[in-house]
Amino acid sequence: MNSFIKAVGVGCLSLGLWCSTALAQDSWWKTAAQPYQGATIRGISESTPASKYVEQVLGPKFTQETGIKVEFEATSWDQMYDKAIKDMEANTGIYDFVYIEQDIVYTYLARNFLVDITKSLADNAKIASPDFKPENFTTFLNYFKDPKSGDVMGVPMEAFIKPYLYRKDLFDDPAIQKSYKDKTGADLKPATTHEEYTRIAKFFAEYGADKELWGTTVQASSSHPAAFYEFFESVAPTFGVYNWGIDGKTFAATEAHGGQMNSAASKKALNYWVDLLKYAPPESTSSTWDEVAGTFAAGRAAQGLVYGENAAWIATDESKSTVVGKVGVALPPVEAGVMEAAKAGKGYIGYYDGGAFGIPHSSKNKDASLLFLQYIGQTSVQTDWALAGSRIVMNSTYDDPKIVEQDKKVSGYYTLMRDDGKLFAGAPPFPFHAQVLQVVAPFIYKAIVGEIKPDDALDQAATAAEAELVKLGYRK
Amino acid sequence: MRRSNIGWLFLAPATLILFVVGFIPFLYILYVGFFDWNSNAVDPTLRWAGLQNYRNLVFDATFLNSLARTLVFAFIVVVSELLLGYVLARALMADRLWGRQFFRTIHTLPIVVAPIAVGATWRLLCVPGFGIIPYYLKLWFGIDYNISTNAYHAFGTAIVMDLWHWTPFVTLSLMAGLTALPKEPLEQAQIDGGNKLQIFWYVIVPMLKPVLLTTVFIRLMDALRSVDEVWMLTKGGPAEATRFIGLHIWINVFPKTDYGYGAAMSLLTLYVTIVLSWLLFVAMTGRKGGAQ
Repeated sequence: MNSFIKAVGVGCLSLGLWCSTALAQDSWWKTAAQPYQGATIRGISESTPASKYVEQVLGPKFTQETGIKVEFEATSWDQMYDKAIKDMEANTGIYDFVYIEQDIVYTYLARNFLVDITKSLADNAKIASPDFKPENFTTFLNYFKDPKSGDVMGVPMEAFIKPYLYRKDLFDDPAIQKSYKDKTGADLKPATTHEEYTRIAKFFAEYGADKELWGTTVQASSSHPAAFYEFFESVAPTFGVYNWGIDGKTFAATEAHGGQMNSAASKKALNYWVDLLKYAPPESTSSTWDEVAGTFAAGRAAQGLVYGENAAWIATDESKSTVVGKVGVALPPVEAGVMEAAKAGKGYIGYYDGGAFGIPHSSKNKDASLLFLQYIGQTSVQTDWALAGSRIVMNSTYDDPKIVEQDKKVSGYYTLMRDDGKLFAGAPPFPFHAQVLQVVAPFIYKAIVGEIKPDDALDQAATAAEAELVKLGYRK
Repeated sequence: MRRSNIGWLFLAPATLILFVVGFIPFLYILYVGFFDWNSNAVDPTLRWAGLQNYRNLVFDATFLNSLARTLVFAFIVVVSELLLGYVLARALMADRLWGRQFFRTIHTLPIVVAPIAVGATWRLLCVPGFGIIPYYLKLWFGIDYNISTNAYHAFGTAIVMDLWHWTPFVTLSLMAGLTALPKEPLEQAQIDGGNKLQIFWYVIVPMLKPVLLTTVFIRLMDALRSVDEVWMLTKGGPAEATRFIGLHIWINVFPKTDYGYGAAMSLLTLYVTIVLSWLLFVAMTGRKGGAQ
């Protein structure tokens, strides 16, 4: 009897403790948000799986807990930047939080667009959540720190690598393996070199001629910056050309001045990449990152470099993908010596992309937005968000049982990201990102459509990039 | 109060709005055009450049190509729309046409569609690999139609899209003009033995001139600043094959933040538009200068 009473007592005590903790947790957001009850904060982001989760799940949950309404605009990449930058330039204050992609953060910092989150929370301890701990984030957070002060300027909301996806079902098919061996003399396995990749692409383009299947995806829109990004951030590094081929100290782009944009390695990379179009589906010359994911999900390509934010839905969502359970994941193919350089920290083999939410200086609801950003930066919301958007920004998320389970379905994408994420890198810290992009991209487009040869395209691009950098005052 | 003063009073609100949203920005652009100003430069302030931006434009092949491309586009679409619009207007006015009212309604629908939606719809129709236009062109005629690799296909599609969108406007304008024409001169010309072509050229066209002039001016100015439809369809590509001047200026001013150069481009484009309109006015009315 005594033991029964003790057990009931311990049970009640535990329940009481649990309830009080839960209430305390709930009440912290409510209490902190009290002065901002009824306020509306507006945010803008690129329409990605991770952003949609914020729009559909985290925003409404935050509103429920705090009474602060979240209006969220998930739009195209171009529109997002157009609207956000115009808002911040004109200081209109339409948006209270904006998406900052990893590659644009240096421009935003140089132009003082963003609120210092670390300082703001230190200055106003009442709205500093005990559950928001920057140390919980992966090193991806470092991209969103002010290089001078080390303060956090953005809360990471998505991070992913751009891996090599391949059709496991095709690569593992004994009949296809035999046919490949007969035709090429080699074993069919995920490519580790560019020669292997091209050989596989050619084989599947021929094999799939009557099956609506092609050898590879190529993110080669002939009029969209996506082509520039795929070449300079995903392909050129696998040939040992880093930072868009621009010297980080002298800002030289031409080989004659110490740059790499038109080096032999860079030209070899562009020739290889443009050549892949022969084995790619017809939509490739109008494909951005979204269309590449769509092409792969539609089963129209045997392999490709696909942004990791799409890996989970391509591999698991039957309502959108025809290749569920058929997706393999591997590291991109590289030139000899590039992998070793990346492992030694002297280079990288692909793009580590992602973004954060930051608060523009022009925001009229900075405190309410700070609360929201901390809310999405809690450890407790990360797992389900990762499941929906295949993005991981905290180390602890990798070990969550739900993620471990999904990792099996996406052929170890998360393991690859955790173990080999260090081999990938974000965009170079250039404050002139958009300016050089706009100058160089047309030459890449011309190479794609065959208007000029890849070698000439890079020669002209490097000269034009340098001229622009002189005009902007970066290169003397 | 004198009648003339009352007139000015009524005009005042519109004049004020025009001054604030039209004239002041124009003066600002004129001012910015004399500076080298890029908010992402090492020195993001306005630096005096004098006429350097205008000088650079003369040697800027991309700008000149964009301008030339736009003029060709504008010439083709305006002439085509005028011809097509006239033929359709006469057809839709014909008494013997069965279901005339229905066709008039259907024919007018494209005008009410937003340019951005028109561009997106045509994009879906034309996208390589999935669009129905490349699919059927290949199936029926063996044509490898691809607006993302073939400059002619992209340029041609931009023209066809513009014709689809704006010919109904020309048709409606001409229908209004034709309906308002007095019957007597036409009957007189018939009595005098004029054939159809003579009546059209010597009677209808002169009487229709005010309507033609207005329609051509509206369409010419629209065509010269075409941005949104083409942006949605091709984003100026493949490469720069459909990068019209409006799009080129937008790229320079917004993503590239080259405000001084962009302002100079805008002013030069405005100047070209005004000169073209004046030449057209002179050619169509036979007037010289503004004397009459």
